[in-house]
Amino acid sequence: MHFVSGGAFQGKRKWVKVHYSLANKPHIWCNGYEEEWFLPNDHIMEQIVVFEGAEQWIRRMLDEHGQESMKQIVSYFTAWKTWEMGGERTVVWIGCEIGQGLVPLDEKERIWRDIVGWSYQRLAAMCDRVDRLWCGIAERIK
Amino acid sequence: MIVFISGGVRSGKSRVAEQCAQRLADEGDRLHYIATAKKTDEEMAERIRHHQLQREKGRWKTWEQPHTLREIVSFFHTCDVVLLDCLTNLWANEMFQDEQWQIEEKMQKRAQNVYRDILDLASRTKGLVIVSNELFNGGVPSDAGTYLYMKGLGWLHQQIVAVSSVAIVMQYGIPIVKKGERPCGTEPFLPCNF
Repeated sequence: MHFVSGGAFQGKRKWVKVHYSLANKPHIWCNGYEEEWFLPNDHIMEQIVVFEGAEQWIRRMLDEHGQESMKQIVSYFTAWKTWEMGGERTVVWIGCEIGQGLVPLDEKERIWRDIVGWSYQRLAAMCDRVDRLWCGIAERIK
Repeated sequence: MIVFISGGVRSGKSRVAEQCAQRLADEGDRLHYIATAKKTDEEMAERIRHHQLQREKGRWKTWEQPHTLREIVSFFHTCDVVLLDCLTNLWANEMFQDEQWQIEEKMQKRAQNVYRDILDLASRTKGLVIVSNELFNGGVPSDAGTYLYMKGLGWLHQQIVAVSSVAIVMQYGIPIVKKGERPCGTEPFLPCNF
C-alpha cells in the first residue's frame, strides 16, 4: 500500500495520477469528499484502487463509531492490505495533513485531529511506501 | 531566475531571502524590495519597521505594492534583483480587494494574472526572490473565503515552484532545499539578530 500525504492544495491528487499513469490504466478512484469509501469485494477487477480524502473519511468514522473508531479504521486498512496481497494490486491512500496548525478550541475538532494523526501513523506503518507532497514535489519518507 | 522561499512565521524567511538577493546581485546591480503589507494596525506597522531596519544597511530600494504587480513590472531590467515579500500578502490583497472573492472562476483568473505578472517580472530581471508562507498543514477551514484563499495560494505555489531554479522551505532558521542547488545566500549560516 502507498500513503500519499502533505498539506492542502499541494498537488497530491495530480501527483498520484501522474505517478501511476492513471490516464491510461484501469483503476478505481474513490473521492472521500464526495462519496463513501467501501470495503474490498469480489467484483473489483482493477489492479489499482485510490482512496482520496482520508481525513474526511476518518471524520465520518469518528461520527459513526465514536470511541470504537480507531479499531474500525485499522480493520478497514487491514482489509485492503489483505486484498492487495491477493494479486498484482496496489492500494493508494491520499490524506491531507491537518495536524500542524493551531490546536482547535472545539473539543470535537481536537479529537478528530488526534484520530487523524493516529490513523496516519497506523496507515504509514502498514504501507510499503509513503510520500509527502510539497508544492507538487514528492518527498519519499518511507 | 526565480528563488522561492517558504516557511512558517518567524522561521527566518526574510533574512535568508535578503541574503539570497544580495548574493544574486553583481557589482553595480540594484536591489529592490517589493513590500506587500498594508499597515492595518500598530503591530503590523512594527513588523514593517522591523523589516525596513533590516534592509537599511544595504542598497535597497523599497516599493510599496500591496497588489497589482503589473503596475511596476516595466520599471525593472536585467541589472535588477527583486525580492517580493510576500506572496501571502499579495494574494490576500488581490483576492479581497473587492467583494468578488466568492466567485471561484474570478479568483482563478486573478491567480493566473498574479502568476503571469511574476513570470514577467522574473523574465525582465536578473533574479526574483519570492517569499511566501506555509499555511497548508493545519486543515482547511470550512468558510468559503479561507478555502478559496488557500486554494489559490496553493495553486500559485505549485506553479511558481515548477518554474523556480531553487525552492526552499525554512525550518527554525534552517533552509531546507527542496529543488535546485544549495543556493546563494543561504550559506554559511550567518548569525541573526532577533
